[in-house]
Amino acid sequence: MSTGGNYYFVIVGHHDNPLFEMDFSPTTKEVKKEDHSYLNQFIAHAALDLIDEHVWKTNNMYLKIVDKFNDWFVSAFITGSQIRFIMLHDCKNDDGIKSFFWEMFEMYIKYSMNPFYVQNTKIISPTFEKKSSLYGRKYLVG
Amino acid sequence: MSSSGSLALPPSIEELPLELLHGELVCSGILLSYEEGDGDSSELLSKLEFIGFSTGYRLIERLLRDSPRFKDELDTIKFICKDFWVAVYKKQIDNLRTNHQGTYVLQDNSFKFLSKLSATKQYLEHGPKFLSYTCGIIRGALANLGIASVVIAEISTMPSCRFHITIPRAG
Repeated sequence: MSTGGNYYFVIVGHHDNPLFEMDFSPTTKEVKKEDHSYLNQFIAHAALDLIDEHVWKTNNMYLKIVDKFNDWFVSAFITGSQIRFIMLHDCKNDDGIKSFFWEMFEMYIKYSMNPFYVQNTKIISPTFEKKSSLYGRKYLVG
Repeated sequence: MSSSGSLALPPSIEELPLELLHGELVCSGILLSYEEGDGDSSELLSKLEFIGFSTGYRLIERLLRDSPRFKDELDTIKFICKDFWVAVYKKQIDNLRTNHQGTYVLQDNSFKFLSKLSATKQYLEHGPKFLSYTCGIIRGALANLGIASVVIAEISTMPSCRFHITIPRAG
């Protein structure tokens, strides 16, 4: 029985820099995680090339699963202005991930309309984080 | 005493605040440059263009929310002519020409910001100053889509104007 329900979400800017990262896991998993965050970043970064290839093949924003690494799947979503949302997950959850991406997209649009936010810089906002964990619990882990 | 329900304003009133604000920005900028400087308004124009750039950059992300991504450059320019122009000026571009080598000419026969000024030659000299904000908007929108461009505008007769978009080809 594979460990279900771990997700790693990252928003990547134009220079392959992470703008926002967040982990989601089922609430009962405690200290067992030996901090694999570096591995998650590595997998996401490696997937960027594949995403760029997929971008040319379709007009959709949601790119579904673009890559696989050991037992991690990589799903992607790309916006009109070429900002990439990447999700690492170890169990298939197409609908949940798609809804999550769209909600994050709406939030990102609202956030980027703020004249004080410089594009392609880190997203630092407690509201943004709170809302993402809320949507994560709703669509991914819940 | 007529009973009116909701305050239903005629459609042209919705755009009025933006038109008036823009008009004031340009006019007071020109007056200030006469008072303080030597009447040279190029600094004002580059500031306006930069403000337009930031605006267009943020605006395009919001407008692209519901449409699929673009196949090529021409599609992008067509989007600018239709949906983008409608969102900002409530009308579409009247004429689009291209040489398919990266140059596009957008013609608007009754440009919003100029239509309240005059329909004759009276203010022709000041006309182009009202176009730099829009040039910036176009440049900003294209920049966020990954297209670096140069946008200039010209007026032959008020209130119609043309925007020239030049996209340099690599190599």
